[in-house]
Parts: sequence; C-alpha cells; structure tokens
Amino acid sequence: MLFATDNVVGTTIPDLKLNLLDGEKTSIHELLKDGPVMIDFWATWCKPCKKVMRYLDQYHQEYSEQGFKVLMINQDTPRSMGKVKSYIRSQKHEFIVALDPNQQIAKKLNGQVMPTLILVDQDGSIKWRHQGYIPGEEVEIERQIKLLIQSDSSES
Amino acid sequence: MKKLLPIVFILSSLFANDIDFNAALSANYGDNYDFYSYSENRLDLNFFYNDLQGWIQYEYSNPPDVGFPINDIRKFRIEYALNDVTIKFGDIYEFWGRGLALNQIDDQITNFDNGTRGLFLSYSNGPLSLSHLNGNSSIWLFGTDLRTPFYNNSHNMSGNQFQYDWNSFSLGLTQLQSNETHQKLFGDKAYINHKLKGIYGSWIATNADFFFEYVDKVSTEKMDFFQEVAHDSLKEGHGVYGNLNLYLGNWGLSTEYKRYAFDRGHTDFTADDYGNRIELQMMPTLGKEQNSTLLGRVAHNYNLNDERGVQLEVNGSLLDKLTLTAQYSHLSRNNNWQSVTPADWEDSAIPNYLPSSDPSSLPYWENYQEISGFGFGDKLYFKLGRGNNKEILKTTRYFDGQGLSIKKNWVYTDSVEWYDEWYYIDSSLIGIDTTLYNVEAKMWQEAKSFTIPMEINYSFNNNYTFGIGFQYQERTKNNITKGNSRTYSYSDSAWTLIKVNDPDSMVYSRDTQFLINEKKLKTQYNRMIYVTLSKAPTWSFTITHDWTNGFDGPTTVDPYYNPLEALIFGDLKYFTGERNRIEPPNFIQKRWVSAELAYNITSSQRVSIMYGSIQGGLFCSNGICRLIAPFNDGIKFSYSAIF
Repeated sequence: MLFATDNVVGTTIPDLKLNLLDGEKTSIHELLKDGPVMIDFWATWCKPCKKVMRYLDQYHQEYSEQGFKVLMINQDTPRSMGKVKSYIRSQKHEFIVALDPNQQIAKKLNGQVMPTLILVDQDGSIKWRHQGYIPGEEVEIERQIKLLIQSDSSES
Repeated sequence: MKKLLPIVFILSSLFANDIDFNAALSANYGDNYDFYSYSENRLDLNFFYNDLQGWIQYEYSNPPDVGFPINDIRKFRIEYALNDVTIKFGDIYEFWGRGLALNQIDDQITNFDNGTRGLFLSYSNGPLSLSHLNGNSSIWLFGTDLRTPFYNNSHNMSGNQFQYDWNSFSLGLTQLQSNETHQKLFGDKAYINHKLKGIYGSWIATNADFFFEYVDKVSTEKMDFFQEVAHDSLKEGHGVYGNLNLYLGNWGLSTEYKRYAFDRGHTDFTADDYGNRIELQMMPTLGKEQNSTLLGRVAHNYNLNDERGVQLEVNGSLLDKLTLTAQYSHLSRNNNWQSVTPADWEDSAIPNYLPSSDPSSLPYWENYQEISGFGFGDKLYFKLGRGNNKEILKTTRYFDGQGLSIKKNWVYTDSVEWYDEWYYIDSSLIGIDTTLYNVEAKMWQEAKSFTIPMEINYSFNNNYTFGIGFQYQERTKNNITKGNSRTYSYSDSAWTLIKVNDPDSMVYSRDTQFLINEKKLKTQYNRMIYVTLSKAPTWSFTITHDWTNGFDGPTTVDPYYNPLEALIFGDLKYFTGERNRIEPPNFIQKRWVSAELAYNITSSQRVSIMYGSIQGGLFCSNGICRLIAPFNDGIKFSYSAIF
C-alpha cells in the first residue's frame, strides 16, 4: 500500500454541487463546460494557501481565453467564514470561490490537506494532483496548466 | 464493519469499468523518550457510480496520537442523488446556517467528531430545499487525560431544515431534537431531551452582505431513578449571531455579533452542567483564527453556552503588493456576578446587548494587526504582525456592596497565673457592636499577552527558498486581590474586614502565576525561531527553536539531552564525551529544538520526518481547544498520498 504510484485510480471528477461565495449555486461539471479547471482547497488561516493563491489567480486570468478556470474551495468553519469574502475582495482575486465549511467536498476529493491542487480536463478526467506548497512550485503548477491547454488545443 | 471491505472490493471488481475511485492514505508514527508512541494509519476511499457515491474510511491505530485504538472501518456513507432528491445513509455531516442549531465536523487533530450515523433525505426544487436527518451521534470529550477521551455524550437525534432562496435573499428554518445520554463526572448518566428551533436569513449584494441566525432551545431531564419526570423544563436558552460585511474597492469590513445564552454561570462549565448547549451546535466564536504558534497558545477558551461579543476586522491591500489586516474583538459572559458569600453567587443582567468590561463577567479582549506583502519581483515575501489580548480567567470571589461590621465584646471570667503571667481561660460574650460599612472583597485571575510574529522568505532563481520566522511573546498571569475584605465569616454571615477598625483600608495585590524552579516570575517571555531551506518542488528542511523563561505551573523536566540540542547550543562537551547526558544542563529545560525534513516523492505523495522536542500547550482548531502533551526527544514520521 505504501508508496503507491501516482494517479492509479480516480481518473474522473464527480459532479459535486457547489455553493459559491456570491450566493450562486453550480456544480463542478457545469464549470467544466468552458474548459479545464484547477481545483484548490484553502482557508483564510492557511499560510501556504495564501501564497499559492496569488499565482493561481494570475493563471485564472492569463488562461481564461482558453476556457481555463481556477476553483478555490474554501474550508473556513463558521469561526472565520464571515471573513472569506472580505479577504478575497481585498486581494482583488477573480477566481471562483466555493464554500465547504464542514469539508464535505474536501472529503470526497481528498482535499483535507491544504493546499491540495487537482487539475481537471474539460472531459472531467483528473490530470494532476498535488499536496502542499513549497515556494517555487508555482512554476510546476503553471507548466501543468500549459501542458493541459496545449494538449486540448492540439486534439481539437 | 470489516465485512464491508470485501463487499466493496467485489463490487468494485464487477463494475470496475464504470466505477470511479479516489483515495487518500495517511500514516503517522511517533516515538519518544517519555514512552509517548503512536501509530496511526488511515485510508479514505471514495467511489462514484452513476448517481451513487460511497465513502469508506478504514483506520488502523494502535495507539493513535489521541483517541482510542481502532482496527476497523471507522466511517462509511452511501449517497444516492437523482434529480431533486438526495438520500444518504451512514456517517452524515451536515451544516445549517452558521451552525447555531447544527454543524457537524470530524476533526481528527482535536479528536472531536459530532457526526450522525443514520439517514439523510433532501429534496430541492428551484428555490426550495427541504432536508431531514435522523440517527445517532456518539461524542467523546476529554477529561484530565490529554490523549484518551473520558466523557461520552450520545444523542439519538432528528432534525429538519427548510430553505427558500429568492434572488439575493435566503431564508431558512431549522428544527432539531435529541434524546441525550449524558455522562457525568463520576460515571452517572443523565437522560435529557433537547428541542431546538431556529431561523436564519441572508442577503448578498455587490458591496455588502448580511447574515443572521437565531436559535431557541429547551431541554428537559427525562426521568429520575424512579422513572419520574424530574423537571418540567431543565434549562431554556437561545443563541443569536449576526454578520454584516461592507466592501469598498479592495477594502472589506467584517462585523460580527453574538449572544449565546444557553446557560449561565460565574465560572467554567463542567461535565455535570448538562441541559445547555449540545455538542451538535458548533457556532462562530468571534475570535481571530491565528496561524502563529505562540498566538495559538494564548487563545481564549470560548464559552458557547454563555458568551456575547463583537468582532470587527478590516482587510485591504495597498499598491497591489501589501495586504493589511486589523482585528478587534470584545467578549464577556451575559451577566455580571456578585459573590454574596464565597459559595453563593448572584447574577445581574448586563444592561444592554454589548459585552461588559466588569471583571465578574469574565471579559476577553483581543486585537491583531498584520501587514504582509511581496517585493523584489515577488521573490521576497514578508509578514509582520502584532497581537494583544487580555482576559479575566476566573473570579474566586467578587463582592462590592454594604455589610455589617461585627465587633464582639468579651469579658474574662476566670484566669490563672503562670510564671508571673496571667492567662485568661474562660470568657463570655457580653455584646455585639454592628456598624454598616462598604465592603469590597474581590479576587480574580487576569492574563495578558503581547505577541509579535514575523516571517521573511526569499526565493532564488534556482528554485531554492530561504525563510526565517521569529515570534516574540510577553505574558503575565496574576491572581489579583482588591478591597478591604478578603475572608467571609459563615458564623457571623458577614465579610470580615482586613483591618477591623479601619473599613477604609484597602489592599491591592498581584500574585504572579508563572514559576521557574519554584521561584515566582513576573513576566513569561517566549521566543520561537524557525529557519527553513527548501527546493521546489522536492524538499523542505526546517529547524525550530522554541524557548521560554518560565512555566504556568511546575517546571517540566526533560531527562534526555539529545545531539540536536547540543549542536544547536554549540555544546562541544557533548561530542567530546565530557557532558553527562543523563543529567543534562539546566539550559535545555526551557528549550525545545526540532528538525523536520519534508520530501515530495511525487506531486501527490509526501513524506516527512521530524526529530527533536515540541513543547506541549493549548492547540485550537475549529473553535475546539485541546491541551497537547509535550513531545520530548523523539521521532515523528508521516506519509500522505492522494490517488
């Protein structure tokens, strides 16, 4: 069981319902209609999450023409969830934020470790997973996004 | 429960082509000089088949870091969702409003799990949604043992939720009832029925949003030993929470208000205070969720039964590079308290909706400011914070009123001479003189802290990042005595003046509670420094040095002097064999040093190994605080993977 190889199973993302920060409701498959999605789990008190969010927002804006989106699933509990929107507004982040205050989505996608990144292709297939953030890893994150977008455009 | 595993594997084989899986594996081991060892292994398996979803969590822990040993399926759930209907069976975790009626979490760090094993049904059609939950919850709470829970409160519960969304407005109604078997301190059990009714609403606009929730609660003790109803109504209470956020450009102001009045008391609640808030209710606390170790150790122990307060927080950014945060909160109990005698306390309502500053209401204040940002082409990251808090932890006595002085006149009726001295051996009371005077008899415990956390990281072009963090903290904790009286005479039913003939003679004293080697220490100074070197995306290495000058209680003893400590302190005698390792030098007793290497085997597999010591103390997560035992001179190993 130990040291299993990467991405053995879990090839397709389930269609989970999402409550967005702006009050709207959607689902993961709904977001995938336009293109690939990078999912990240975060909380306002998570230091490495905040560091990587800055880059994820850049990629969300930079690759939006290719239909790419970043979905940030917030795991603040009632203790701090009242401050989530205030933080997002202060940072001018444009990515999509969903609320998951009792970790139901996180448990279904194994995102309890924060940050956890899951890159999903438009057809729902999971292409890359990553746990944690070491400064400098944003380079690898962007490389994975570019690889996916390039492979999608070459297939089409 | 183990029978479920082969069934899952057989089904997954049969439908292998159609079933999607994901899994997470975590393994944690620890062993130290104080025989603190643990082995925790957990596998989470999710599967998805058309409209069916399933979750199984298998755990083998013997013993776990906290909790009970287990070698079985710990959690499972089957979900079926088709169009407007969702059915869940198994371990359910639901969340209504902001949690004043129901908020279920499984926090394995604090070993708090208030989930329900049962059935959940929901129906949603356009703006309308209805849900029903029914099942059993078994909730374990800690007693004096820091690793093994002691109290078990079980709930046979059912609840209903209705929500209607209309444009930017939402309105919800909640109803929950539970039959609780509540474990008391000495093993006795109380049987209580709880009924909760709640309402919540929200409004979201471009530059503002608002949320409120109200819950009313009644509890009844079901029956006594003779199967008779003991109380018509054991306790009644309510909870209110409001949150208004305002946004202007890239600035946001978050304001929160709470008043939780499910019970009231002048001191902490114990296991024998039942009938108040139940553990299924996990609501906002109105304190800053800190991510600095030293600030986390001075977190307030929130009282969700009896506490009111306000919190304000401003978040904003400047020049797209700097992030600013400023937070303030003030909390107190819902009543001021007067100790008529040291054992009898009378409450008086605080005359408005805001928290009180009177020490008898156990007030708590905190404020925190932080600036963080990037520089040098985003290669430099820095954070500088400043936090203050002040808290009245307890009141031993608190009387401020009028009393009668009692001066007794005695006449001596018999005496004896002994070596030229006269001794009176009998006497009788001939009169009592009483005078009305002002009495102030106050004794309380007050804690203050001042903390500065800071952090700097610099990333080089070759994927290396060097980081250094430093946290500084000053803490005081004093027992304060104030007034002209400090004792109470039960025989005379009166407070006794310190100076009987001088009612105006007041005393004020502060007695510090910090000690080092049984000597009193006015201020506790804590410092923590950590240095990190990492190379993306592969590894990260951190050395942490935690130092204090005193303890809130007896001095801890670290009986083993390890080579990492000797290396950090530059103690060459350790390596030349001149140092007695069994009797380590005094300076290591106030320091904890650890080194941790984290290595990414692949992007989704991570391993870390830690060697050294970690100071114990208060750890808080999700509004639940737990005292963590110190980890002295040992190794921790952890592996996590997602598939």
